[in-house]
Amino acid sequence: MNTPVMLMLSDPVLYIGLGRGLLLTLQISVMSIALSFVFGTIIGSMRYSGLPVLSQIATTYIEFIRNLPTLLLILVSYFVLGLPAMWAATIGLTIYTSAIIAEIIRGGLNSVPEGQWEAARSQGFSFLQSMRYIVLPPSVVKMIPAIVSQFVTAIKDSSFAMAIGAYELMFKGTILAAKYWKPSQIITIYVVISMVYFVINFTISMIARRLQTKLSIGRGSIGS
Amino acid sequence: MTELIAGIGFLQEGPFAIPRWEALFSNIDVLWAGALVTLLVASLGLAMALALGTVIGVMSASHWRIPRAFARVYVEFYQNTPLLIQVFMLYNAIPLIYPGLFIPVIVIGVFGVGMYHGAYIAEVVRAGIQSIGRGQLEAALSQGFTYVGAMRFIIIPQAMRIVLPPLTNQAVNLIKNTSVIAIIAGGDLMYAGDSFAGRYGHYGPTYVVVGLLYFLMCFPLARLTRRLEDRMMAA
Amino acid sequence: MKKSALLVLLALSLVLGAFALAGCGAKEEAAAPETEPAVELPAGAKAIKDAGVLRVGVKADVPNFGLQDAATGEFAGMEIDLAKAIAKRIGIAEDKVKFEAVTAKTRGPLLDNGQLDLVIATFTIKPERLEQWNFSKPYYQDEVGLLVKNSSGIKSLADLNGKTVGVAQGATSHDAVQAEADKAGVKVTFLEFATYPEINAALESGRVDAFSVDKSILSGYLTENSTILPDGFSPQDYGIASKKGTDDLTTFINGMLAEMETNGEMKTLLEKWSLN
Repeated sequence: MNTPVMLMLSDPVLYIGLGRGLLLTLQISVMSIALSFVFGTIIGSMRYSGLPVLSQIATTYIEFIRNLPTLLLILVSYFVLGLPAMWAATIGLTIYTSAIIAEIIRGGLNSVPEGQWEAARSQGFSFLQSMRYIVLPPSVVKMIPAIVSQFVTAIKDSSFAMAIGAYELMFKGTILAAKYWKPSQIITIYVVISMVYFVINFTISMIARRLQTKLSIGRGSIGS
Repeated sequence: MTELIAGIGFLQEGPFAIPRWEALFSNIDVLWAGALVTLLVASLGLAMALALGTVIGVMSASHWRIPRAFARVYVEFYQNTPLLIQVFMLYNAIPLIYPGLFIPVIVIGVFGVGMYHGAYIAEVVRAGIQSIGRGQLEAALSQGFTYVGAMRFIIIPQAMRIVLPPLTNQAVNLIKNTSVIAIIAGGDLMYAGDSFAGRYGHYGPTYVVVGLLYFLMCFPLARLTRRLEDRMMAA
Repeated sequence: MKKSALLVLLALSLVLGAFALAGCGAKEEAAAPETEPAVELPAGAKAIKDAGVLRVGVKADVPNFGLQDAATGEFAGMEIDLAKAIAKRIGIAEDKVKFEAVTAKTRGPLLDNGQLDLVIATFTIKPERLEQWNFSKPYYQDEVGLLVKNSSGIKSLADLNGKTVGVAQGATSHDAVQAEADKAGVKVTFLEFATYPEINAALESGRVDAFSVDKSILSGYLTENSTILPDGFSPQDYGIASKKGTDDLTTFINGMLAEMETNGEMKTLLEKWSLN
């Protein structure tokens, strides 16, 4: 079996190249997911708080950013803010994902009826205790699918970083397609890349689904 | 006034210097042309996503195993792989498999976002249908409705109310995601802006205007989403 | 009540967030070398010496000029050697030369925003570019070429009538091919891509009929199934670019280039990378 595809698949350079690309893809997406979670929670609570200036800042940020393409934010981070490619991708993705997470957090907090707060407080729970034991658990369980789905989107959208020449998985694959230029080889590279993304994202989605089911069962039926 | 402007450093040099703005506005037609392509791809893509999403969504909520399995595979594939690689496949891999078959970039854009967001819309539709409850479907079926008829007249109209906010949200995402065709020289707003910015180095003003145009396209829909969400909360 | 407590929570997260940001933004400060400079360096070169690192933008995908090894990540090529020669003259150790891969589109902005000290990346000296950046005297002359698939039957520019040419965003080849095509009465359309590998993928799939950029760059994409056409247009001089206003650094580099020319070092370098 000496087909072009077999030849390519037996070359370690292919795996080293794609491996390095995957590493950068994960680096960009994991970092922006972590940062977005922090900023998203802050911005989301700011908006939920209804405090005059804070909530207006948060609202403006969310409404503006979530109407812009992620690709544009990555390009701006790179060309206008002048960050190195990897950071530009991370920051661009973080700016966008934070706005979406913020909306999810706000929605989750909003879904908790005011009555629950009052009940908790009347039972002598402090604010943090009410948050910790009464308000957060059901709302977090409700937020899990949306948040995880957004994280999966962040992993997928990190591929836009190829537009600024970051050597992530997509770009590495395209570069390898110049070395392995035969049609069957190029197609194989594309299929391999798709599979890598699929396995990562599908695993994450499955774990999230399990987690949600487990948490919901643990707490009796929550939501519908 | 001129002195005042002369005193503002960032208007004299750097990415936002006045000459860059002038250069952009004397070539603004380039951006209009791109914006038209984006609007075209977005509207056709949205039509396709809605049609596909409804069909796949109904399939995944159905009680027939094969359509349900097919719908599951479709949704999982499209939701778990990047839109960019799907678009690359259509752009570069299709002509390699079928030599001479060059799907026009605009059509790739429509199919790209249509199939990708179709998967998301399918999930929205499925959730909507399932929220109605099995009892209603059974009642309708026992009244002599066919499965399709029950869906058409009983389930879908009710589900619409639940489904509309996330649906408009998907429409906003779809418009934004049409920008990936910039990477395959799609001639859309992002491509036009990027090409202009790259040629002369006027990144600052170009991205500001491109951003504003995307914002103008998305904001009305985003507002509609908010209104629908609020109405649902109130109901 | 609920709101005031929420405010406390917010303040806490803000502080946390600020810490996270500070952690990301922190850059490693290179300690200035203790040794006194052997020769009097101009201010621009001295600033680089004091920083202890020479940051150079190079190509990662141009054989013989700047090529990054897929396995090791090391850069090699004529332009890499030039960067090392400059570092040596400034007094910076070879391992303190930080290479950053750039593209036609990214190299200018990276100089502007101070991420790079120099760009040695098949960067053509052009009048409008001289307005934006400093360029050294040329160290190599190249011309814009066209890469086509053998199966296309395209033998010269004249055969490109009605065809599509793939070019890189921000590169000079768009204008060069357009001018030459106008002269020959040939009508071509252009598609722009962010990177060369993407243009190459479009050439392989038949989306573009020709891939146009400097011949040196095209040589990296040559396969047994493709040819670089004999046509070559608008000879281009490659220069070493730095930020606008760094005149003494440019003079310093020009001095080095002149010296390399006279002592035969340049000739050896070109031979080493089979560029003559």
